[in-house]
Amino acid sequence: MSAVLQNLVNQPYKHGFVTDIESDVAPKGLNEDTIRLISTKKNEPQWLLEFRLKAYQQWLKMDEPKWPNVKYPKIDFQAISYYSAPKSKKKLASMDEVDPELLRTFEKLGVPMNERAKLAGVAVDVIFDSVSVVTTYKAKLAEVGIIFGSISEAVQEHPELVKQYLGSVVPVGDNYYAALNSAVFTDGSFCFIPKGVKCPMDLSTYFRINTEASGQFERTLIIAEEGASVSYLEGCTAPKFDTNQLHAAVVELVALDNADIKYSTVQNWYAGDENGIGGIYNFVTKRGLAKGVNSRISWTQVETGSAITWKYPSCILRGDNSVGEFYSVAVTNNHQQADTGTKMIHIGKNTRSTIVSKGISAGHSNNSYRGLVRIAPTAAGARNYSQCDSMLIGDQSAANTFPYIQVNNNSAKVEHEASTSKIGEEQLFYFAQRGIGAEAAVSMIINGFCKDVFQQLPMEFAVEATKLLGFKLEGSVG
Amino acid sequence: MRLVAGNSYLDSLLAGRPQRPAAFSSPALAWLTQLRANAVDRVGALTVPTTHDEEWRFTDISPLSKLSFQPVRTASPLQAADVERFYLAEATTRLVFVDGGYAPQLSSVARDLGVVVMNLSAAVSAHAAAIAPHLGRHTAFQDNVFAALNTAFLHDGALIVVPRDASVAAPVHLLFIATQKEAASYPRCLVVAESGSTVTVIEDYVALRDVAYFTNAVTEIALADNARVNHIRVQRDSDQAFHIANCAVSLAHASRYQSVSVALGARISRYNLNVRLAAEGAECAVDGLALIGGQQLADTHTLIDHAQPHGVSRQLHKCIVDGAAHAVFNGKIMVRPGAQRTDSSQSSRNLLLTGKARVDTKPQLEIFADDVKCAHGATVGQLDAEEVFYLRSRGLSDAAARNLLTYAFGAEIIDRIPIASLKRRLEQTVLEQTQSN
Repeated sequence: MSAVLQNLVNQPYKHGFVTDIESDVAPKGLNEDTIRLISTKKNEPQWLLEFRLKAYQQWLKMDEPKWPNVKYPKIDFQAISYYSAPKSKKKLASMDEVDPELLRTFEKLGVPMNERAKLAGVAVDVIFDSVSVVTTYKAKLAEVGIIFGSISEAVQEHPELVKQYLGSVVPVGDNYYAALNSAVFTDGSFCFIPKGVKCPMDLSTYFRINTEASGQFERTLIIAEEGASVSYLEGCTAPKFDTNQLHAAVVELVALDNADIKYSTVQNWYAGDENGIGGIYNFVTKRGLAKGVNSRISWTQVETGSAITWKYPSCILRGDNSVGEFYSVAVTNNHQQADTGTKMIHIGKNTRSTIVSKGISAGHSNNSYRGLVRIAPTAAGARNYSQCDSMLIGDQSAANTFPYIQVNNNSAKVEHEASTSKIGEEQLFYFAQRGIGAEAAVSMIINGFCKDVFQQLPMEFAVEATKLLGFKLEGSVG
Repeated sequence: MRLVAGNSYLDSLLAGRPQRPAAFSSPALAWLTQLRANAVDRVGALTVPTTHDEEWRFTDISPLSKLSFQPVRTASPLQAADVERFYLAEATTRLVFVDGGYAPQLSSVARDLGVVVMNLSAAVSAHAAAIAPHLGRHTAFQDNVFAALNTAFLHDGALIVVPRDASVAAPVHLLFIATQKEAASYPRCLVVAESGSTVTVIEDYVALRDVAYFTNAVTEIALADNARVNHIRVQRDSDQAFHIANCAVSLAHASRYQSVSVALGARISRYNLNVRLAAEGAECAVDGLALIGGQQLADTHTLIDHAQPHGVSRQLHKCIVDGAAHAVFNGKIMVRPGAQRTDSSQSSRNLLLTGKARVDTKPQLEIFADDVKCAHGATVGQLDAEEVFYLRSRGLSDAAARNLLTYAFGAEIIDRIPIASLKRRLEQTVLEQTQSN
């Protein structure tokens, strides 16, 4: 490794600070009383409490998944506090009334709120430790009939919609962490795009984990009715802590006939220090149901943070001619572990899916792509194309590919290809010849490698993602 | 782990275990007795795998444990005339095993070959020095119940030792014939290619009757520096048979292993091939073809383990799946830390001929070194409509066009077999199978 770049390798985590806000924290531990407490605090209807308790009962019977290619000490689920909310204050009339401490936090993060939100044309639903504090642009969206806000609000204001769709894509007992989330989720985003409406702006949420040792259990539900379309952005940063934090979110997307949902994520949670101490455990269940004909669900993710990432944004292509897409860049450095990929379940006729996955592993990290393409007997004419490329930086890192391809229909066509490469001395030499330093060269090569995915991101995110990758990998090549 | 059959099934299989052969009784062979005893212990500790085990996720072998299989104790009465049709003109050296037992009257060993081709129990004393470092050393049975069972039954088998710098021009034919219903056979082969030697080995499984039997084979192949081994494996068991095989290959410096395995028969077949490139500059080419129909299941698991730098591996695996058959392929390429400059490519191609045919393929890469070139690809589909149209525009019927394309798909693998008569025979089989549609 070149000396020039060496000192750039472990850049301190830029967003590592703790905001000092009084939190309303539930005692540690998980039992039915905890769940009842959450439900009561949030003033939830009886059916939702039953939904939670049912999930809890299923969770008790399940075991932690052992199959991911990741290693971590056993999680003590009784040592986690399952509810933490900033102390509620009276309703805020304007942005000026927002806790200045909170505003400073967003300032440091560079969240485009206030005028910046307007200029950027982004409606930001701010999740701050599980409770939605401020929602902007709500009125503007309401004009066209879009409901966008926190899921707790939606439970109060649109219980029929939440009841109809919650758990319809990810059932309560789907997997260990989804069951846990279903039992104890505290907040998250809810988005409903009515029939025929094209959402006039990109919707965005900033997630941020605060309060040491409070697990965060987000629940996101996005519904696009017939002919509706929406682009949803999720960006994540988290403060620096030494104890591991568990994050077990569930995201459900439902697309009806001719609907289109695009979900983009940039994840940059605290990954632990250079020795692998600390960092977030990111165990997420994301799934989209392309329920109607000609519907489309597209996932784009840039995963750069977290000590452990365990995440498979999936598409169930039930409607005929429905389309699923997955574009991913996963970067791991130091002692990070990522086991991520997607599932494309083809059920409807002429369903199509595309998978483009780019994994970059540096330092002592372990980066795995795990994907499933299943063609059901009913999926006549289904088509899948998968491409998984890995780049290794340094000889201590690992890159793995585990694609499962299950085909039950002979009219389907499935293609998978994967390759592994490194940044070669010759490439760097070529750049040097033209007066471009190693640092800039690496950044360019990486961006070229990830171009297919970055192109899918909305513009603001593409810029952020390009920068993030630069930060993460500078100095790890030489 | 949930059990399909309790250990009682394994116990019933073990019950038929033959006593230690007299040839193994010399004190110098105590290690062999110990190896067998260890294997028996492992069988006792392990269970029959189920679809809950990742390695057996797509292959349900529970039908196996519904039948009781016992080894055949009597010597075979077969005469050359009964099995001549399986002989290969090119192979002057031949070891024949009937229901797992060595059949000297059917075998033919050329004396002046300069190479040892013998049944194991006859050779074990004279060639102990060549056998001891390899027998049971390459196939780990710690977590593999079928390899453990085979090792527990170890009493005879095929032994090929090619001395230093010897080159055997004619291929060696190892022919395993199944004749009896509900017979269990545990074939064992050991090929030791000493440095600079060259040999071609054909491992051939055939059946005289269409009955249910159980073959559980283990083959070990050790290549010393600069050795070359060409390994052809043909599994044409009866359509009711169960065929489970483990093959472990170890490659020393600059050695080269080439293999073609063809699976045509068996109701359920499983082939585990582990190739370990244990020293620098080793090379392997591993190709496979599964041509199945009806209710057949053919499962191939391969592991190409690049343990040292500068290794090269090439793999092409094809499946042609007809009827309601089910093909499984799991190909893992492992590049261990420090195995720099590895160059590996793998391809899994699958052709589904009917709406009920099914393929589960999983090409896997696990890479722990950065200066490597690794690529893999997988495709699943039916015949290309444009290719069919092209042939039809030249006057072929739809059926003829499809048969020709299917045949060509399989012939790419069969063409890599360097033995003309076997190649012709297999091509004929593929042709018949494709035309029967």
